[in-house]
Amino acid sequence: MASDKASNSNPKVAEAEKLVKKADKLTKFSFTKWFPDWTAATPLYEQAANAFKLAKMPEAAKIAYEKAATGQERSSSPWSAGKHLESAGGLARELGNFDEVIDLYKRASELYVQCGKVQPAADALDKGARAVEDVKPDAAVRMYIDACALLEEDGRDQMAFDSYRSAASIYIKLNRYEDAATVFLRWGQAADKCKAVQSQCKAYLSAIIVYLFADNFNLADASYNDCSQMDSFFKSDQNHCAVQLLSAYREGRPDEIKHVVSTSSVIPHLDHMVIRLAKQLPSGKVTAIVDETGHNGLDEDDLR
Amino acid sequence: MSVIDILTRVDVLCKKYEKYDLDKQWAGADSMSGNDQFLRLYTVVEADIEAAREKSQDAQSEKNRAVVATLNAEVRRSKAALKAEIPKLEKLAAKKVKDLSKEEMAARPDLVVALAQKIEDIPDGVTVGRPGGTWGRKASNPLEIKLDAMHPDDLMRPEHYEQTEESLALRQEYEMRRAKQDEGLDIIAAGLTTLKDMAGDINEELDKQMPLIDEVDTKVDRAAADLKNTNIRLKETLTKMRSNRNFCIDLILIVLILGIGGTLYTYSFSPFTPSYVCLQPLLMYQQVRSAHMMDGAKPLRRNRGLLFMSGWSSE
Repeated sequence: MASDKASNSNPKVAEAEKLVKKADKLTKFSFTKWFPDWTAATPLYEQAANAFKLAKMPEAAKIAYEKAATGQERSSSPWSAGKHLESAGGLARELGNFDEVIDLYKRASELYVQCGKVQPAADALDKGARAVEDVKPDAAVRMYIDACALLEEDGRDQMAFDSYRSAASIYIKLNRYEDAATVFLRWGQAADKCKAVQSQCKAYLSAIIVYLFADNFNLADASYNDCSQMDSFFKSDQNHCAVQLLSAYREGRPDEIKHVVSTSSVIPHLDHMVIRLAKQLPSGKVTAIVDETGHNGLDEDDLR
Repeated sequence: MSVIDILTRVDVLCKKYEKYDLDKQWAGADSMSGNDQFLRLYTVVEADIEAAREKSQDAQSEKNRAVVATLNAEVRRSKAALKAEIPKLEKLAAKKVKDLSKEEMAARPDLVVALAQKIEDIPDGVTVGRPGGTWGRKASNPLEIKLDAMHPDDLMRPEHYEQTEESLALRQEYEMRRAKQDEGLDIIAAGLTTLKDMAGDINEELDKQMPLIDEVDTKVDRAAADLKNTNIRLKETLTKMRSNRNFCIDLILIVLILGIGGTLYTYSFSPFTPSYVCLQPLLMYQQVRSAHMMDGAKPLRRNRGLLFMSGWSSE
């Protein structure tokens, strides 16, 4: 068996296995033991886990880390428990058990929240999401958004920017453009709260571009109207670019759209996935959009 | 005294002190010195001309342009004032004055004209609009810029608006250089927008990291205070435990205890093997000594080593 081979080559591994057995004995219920002795068992588990990790045996290491985490939790040190669970999560990722990865990182994050340390909790969620984003993008996105919500509750909006960016990029990869635009708008709102004008304007422009790429001019226009109510966006270069883009779309001139995108000074500074989308504008058919709601039903001849 | 007497006395007194009577003097001056008036004004004007000429000389030799400008302005002002005096002079010149020869009378208007010319001749830094006056003097700038100097007939000619070769070439060069400048400016603008964006991002990063650094600051302060306390307590404990005096006392006590222990075990003959083994030669020697005391002293010396060896081997 692999563990036997490993134990043959590495006496430390054998020792580690012994430690695990010993710790297991300490924690199991038996006739002589009414209360499991976690305080003694936890350091044994930690040692064993380290040894397994060094010997490159992720499966055993992961199990040992999980048990160590339980021990720390019982000893009411959720911080160390969280750290162990994170390590276990990393190992699970190596093994490829992505469901377990999600589960472990979520538990770690909850433990951090218990300690009152919000930033590490959000970081744990981010790490977990990054680990599974290729395989389980939905779960990853949810984790990113949970991380953003955590940070916003705590009032640290600025730390949430990276999570927003990752969430939006996953949505774009999944071609869920409306969701991506929603994420961008939320990003803008968070930026507004902490007065990060540059990020706010960039987020709003990204949202508009994503809506236009999704061929949804009405939503783009509506969101532009909402955003232009904000003074900080209204005075920015990004607003100018948005106006040009929307007017080019309204007139239905693809060459104008391309011209705006290529000569714009603000679009090259957005996130790279948004730049890629912008370069592909106009996607789909662009026709001159007749402003049907313009006259509000008032007719010249209607003198009533 | 009668009135007549008073009157005559007053007349005599007035005549005596006539020279102190200002009103009479002025009236006399007006009526008397008609030609003096002309001459006086003439001399005054001439003196002013000389002063103005000196000022203009100063202006020409001066390097500082501001001083030149003020001096020129003063010269012009005095010239204008003097020009205003000329009509007065002319009137006076035309006045008939007695005791003056006919030639002098005829000469006066000429004198006035000459004076006017002299006033005009004072250089005051103005060279434009002086027909025929520019050749004989140093012009302040070699290129004269005349505004609206085109003759109206010239403007109406159609050839006036055609482009010559040189003007075409000039226009082309102008356009080319302008295009190049535009290109350069575009590049600069692009660089500037990048810089602006980067600066904005840096600004946001700094804002983001400020509260983090504040947190780290407080935590490090707390840790430093804890360390300090711990160090002090450790130092106190060490001094209590390991001061030199206590160390020596400890050593002496240990040695004493060992000595006491050793003697106790020697005299009790307990099965404590190490001390028994160590003390065995001593015991053997005592036994042999006591035996020898009964036999004789000499042979013992040679055989002491052998006895010692046999004592060990028997163990």
